Amino acid sequence: MTTLVVKDQDPYGHGIGGWLSHVGAVIGALPGTYRRELTIHRRRTVLLTVLVILLVTYPILNKLFLAEFSRTTFPLPLPDDTVVTFMMIFGIMAIGLNIVAGFAGLLDLGYVAFYALGAYTAAFLASPHWDSVSIVFLANVAPGFPGIHLPFWIIVPIAILVAGTFGALLGAPTLRLRGDYLAIVTLGFGEIVPVVFRNLADVTFNFSLGPISINAQHLNLTGGSLGINPIDAPYLPFTNLVFNASSGYAPVYLGMFLLVIAILFARNLERSRIGRAWMAIREDELAAEMMGVNTIRTKLLAFALGASFAGVAGSLQASYLGATTSDFFTFSTSILVLIMVILGGIGNIWGVLLGAIALTYVDKTFLPYIGQQVQQIAPSFPNPAQFNFLLFGLILVAMMRFRPEGFLPNRQRAAELAAHTQADVEAKVDEIVAVDAEAEVEASIAEDPGIGLDNLGPPPGQAEASGDARAPETIDEEREL
Amino acid sequence: MSLSESGGQPVANAPLAPSSGDAGVLVRARGVTKRFGGLVAVNSVDFDIPRGSIVSLIGPNGAGKTTFFNMITGFYTPTSGSIEFDGHPIVMKRRNGMKSLRPHEVAALGIGRTFQNIRLFGTMTALDNVRLGANVHLKSHWWDAALRTPGMLREEAENREASMDLLRLVNLEDRAHAWARSLPYGDQRRLEIARALATRPKLLLLDEPTAGMNASETRDMTSFIRKLRAELGLTVLLIEHDMRVVMGISDRVTVLDYGEVIAEGTPVDVRRNPKVIEAYLGRGAADT
Amino acid sequence: MDQVIQTFIIGLSNGLIFALVALGYTLVYGIIELINFAHGDLFMTGSMMAFFLISVTFKLTPATEPVTMIAVILLVIAAVMVATAAINVAIERVAYRPLRNAPKLAPLISAIGMSFVLQNIANLLAGPANKSIDNLFPTTNLLSAFGITTIAVNFQQAFVAVVTIPLLIALTWFVDKTRQGRAMRATAQDPDTAGLMGVDVNRTIALTFLIGGALAGAAGVVQILFNNVTVYNLGFRFGLNAFTSAVLGGIGNLRGAVVGALVLGQINAFSDRYISANWTNAIVFAVLIGVLVFKPTGLLGQQLADRA
Repeated sequence: MTTLVVKDQDPYGHGIGGWLSHVGAVIGALPGTYRRELTIHRRRTVLLTVLVILLVTYPILNKLFLAEFSRTTFPLPLPDDTVVTFMMIFGIMAIGLNIVAGFAGLLDLGYVAFYALGAYTAAFLASPHWDSVSIVFLANVAPGFPGIHLPFWIIVPIAILVAGTFGALLGAPTLRLRGDYLAIVTLGFGEIVPVVFRNLADVTFNFSLGPISINAQHLNLTGGSLGINPIDAPYLPFTNLVFNASSGYAPVYLGMFLLVIAILFARNLERSRIGRAWMAIREDELAAEMMGVNTIRTKLLAFALGASFAGVAGSLQASYLGATTSDFFTFSTSILVLIMVILGGIGNIWGVLLGAIALTYVDKTFLPYIGQQVQQIAPSFPNPAQFNFLLFGLILVAMMRFRPEGFLPNRQRAAELAAHTQADVEAKVDEIVAVDAEAEVEASIAEDPGIGLDNLGPPPGQAEASGDARAPETIDEEREL
Repeated sequence: MSLSESGGQPVANAPLAPSSGDAGVLVRARGVTKRFGGLVAVNSVDFDIPRGSIVSLIGPNGAGKTTFFNMITGFYTPTSGSIEFDGHPIVMKRRNGMKSLRPHEVAALGIGRTFQNIRLFGTMTALDNVRLGANVHLKSHWWDAALRTPGMLREEAENREASMDLLRLVNLEDRAHAWARSLPYGDQRRLEIARALATRPKLLLLDEPTAGMNASETRDMTSFIRKLRAELGLTVLLIEHDMRVVMGISDRVTVLDYGEVIAEGTPVDVRRNPKVIEAYLGRGAADT
Repeated sequence: MDQVIQTFIIGLSNGLIFALVALGYTLVYGIIELINFAHGDLFMTGSMMAFFLISVTFKLTPATEPVTMIAVILLVIAAVMVATAAINVAIERVAYRPLRNAPKLAPLISAIGMSFVLQNIANLLAGPANKSIDNLFPTTNLLSAFGITTIAVNFQQAFVAVVTIPLLIALTWFVDKTRQGRAMRATAQDPDTAGLMGVDVNRTIALTFLIGGALAGAAGVVQILFNNVTVYNLGFRFGLNAFTSAVLGGIGNLRGAVVGALVLGQINAFSDRYISANWTNAIVFAVLIGVLVFKPTGLLGQQLADRA
């Protein structure tokens, strides 16, 4: 009579030791996992492996011959170290926004606010800004140097906490609102935060109540429109490895490290009861609530967790650049990240990552390069790099109209969106699903992965759908990457 | 795919021991009224559901059945009256009016439901639909999920097993990985029940479970509901239009018309009640 | 006290311009529940066009004959209204109509894209710098005729009222009293039923965008004649204020939008004067968030259908 009941015993008996042994087991199982992934999703796995290897070795490749090649043989605009670092930063942001917009289906137009909060957290805690005190702890500056100087590795968790807290504070009163109102409220928040940072440079106030009297004259809280600089660069304690804008490709690896953690976190969340609850809410909020999902809390969680990713990205950006000002954090940055998410494939981590990398490349390498070329030929012609948002605006309109699910779609989202945009959809979806079901059966019996539907080259939309169709078999495998 | 074949393996979901409150009555509603603007949808209804019984709520369209249902599940807040479930008040009187538990809180207390128009999570797999139903009983936090702690993994594995068992119970184990919306209609109905059972309810609310089914499917569903009560000890509240179903499985029947209870009793009593015949049976259900 | 009244008068003129833009938001939202994010940028487009017509094409200066000036201004208003109305209808056709049955957030995202497109086209054609014209009106204080000198109402402010108030009245009349207006209200209430009852829904929606676009164009002309300056990203701030007005008054409610706009005009004027122009945007956003969170139906309630 009790087989169905999830045992009521406390599932957390294992503590740190248990967790460590689990991590060990996961690492130990990786080669096996990879082999299995390869048999099931051959194409995807190969693609992913190539991409990862490319990314990891890019700095070396670039140094060895790509840079030379692009200079002499073929004028291919290549991203430099700064751009690649920003790919990582925006990758983290896109993955965070994907939790909010992709998993939980909440449109956040003020995501940049959390980016700003992360950046200013770093600026406050690792710069000479508070020059009336001197707190130096494990930082790369001489003891007694004015200002608070904490190491990057302590700032990141604090930035997570700050951004997440503000995400929760913003979400708590607003998540009851309907989707479009929520979008506007978040937009407002995204505008207010930079304004506050810009304006609190000269605060004078007098406050007295009985014996308490606070008197502040021209207090510079945020550095105003000049912002705060210099900000300490991240560095590896006990070494002299520094990760800032002038240290070449080292920060790329720092960014990559944080990005991988972000991917793992997002991936793990997606495949948990919380991920299921987010998807259920996205699909039918009322039914989810009736099935026992605390919808407000679950949405709040998405909001706060998503915000904390931007906090990480912000603290990395500020520490890497060594400076921050409120001008970095505009509405267009929020939209840029949103386009990354939409372009790549809303709801799909790999898709949004690809979107982030591609769009950062276009924005920071490709368009400036084209601009340069154009300026050489026709100096009076407008520089495309200044009109990047003309292109991005057109991308948004076109994507909504022609491919709302993105280029590397999450198959669930694709179906949801398709269900709305086409009239005779149900039939179509059923068709796809029928293919799915077949693929599923095939996957379970297929010894030879070469016979899968993947290799028959179905049209792109279906390819994704059927490519993922086998996923259910593996999605629930607990130790997948 | 007959439900009655669905295997004799012991199906769990053992209802928890009856807690405090009246041992014999699971749901106690007193003077429940719901107004929408000037319209009185439910008017001063008293209603008891004895533990372990199958109770049906019938009445013509617009009689207030679904409204009443929605008040039990916390979706609507009654204008006045009280509803108690298993000794817990679902509706409370506050200074500024009535306050109801939120639906997810009601679900956590042990009320599972299905919907008149099926509301599965269409692009989630059948298995994930059921796993979602168990959400309210899962204890792992987001940090467990993010780090995949051993406790969380074990809980997920157990949840997965338990959900597979429920799918087996409704004969859908071989469709576990199909999208809910790709399933045939009858399967969707049963999947919805499986999902509701995953919340480990003491009371199962079924909103027209046989709507749109043919005679043999209806028979299967009826015996399935009986089986649920027998094996899981569930209490069932049914809204149903098909009189064969109602008369066949109900212990008690309550008839609503214009938001008021016009008759209550055993199926036999209700069937003989002239008021009911006039209000309801007279209008097209004479074939019963 | 005089200062307060003076601020109030500035706020009133601001508010009237906001009202014209806010009506565009509220009309569109009332009909298809879309926050037409590009609307503020359409307004900017209107003021840019007016800038070029006034300073380049017709070369108006303060020295131009009054009769010529009035004729040219009327002509500019008409031309810009036609142009922005046409642009708005085209945008609807390209960016929103294909998404009529998509999830609600899809047209909103498309509208954000459109907003960037308009902004950058203006930037491309007119450049990023402020575009300013001379003040075309005499600087006399109209109240000095009544012997009041401590408070000033100048020609510009009177001009704003002379253009906007008749437009507001005409619009209300149109929606309340004409057949097309009835069709709009019916569509707002229930597009499917309206369609069944013989209302051409596509045409009605296009008409809504046409009217909204024309009002935004008129507002653009009035804006540049009033403030004498425009810039490619002006639409964001104005759009924000106008949208907040619409929400404050109860989105979908025409009279509400006007009331909301008048309130927002005062908030802007008093914040600029007594707090700091640096904070005005943040304050407007705070009002917007506050209204959405605490009273999402606004001051006068929603529903184009019920109350317009």
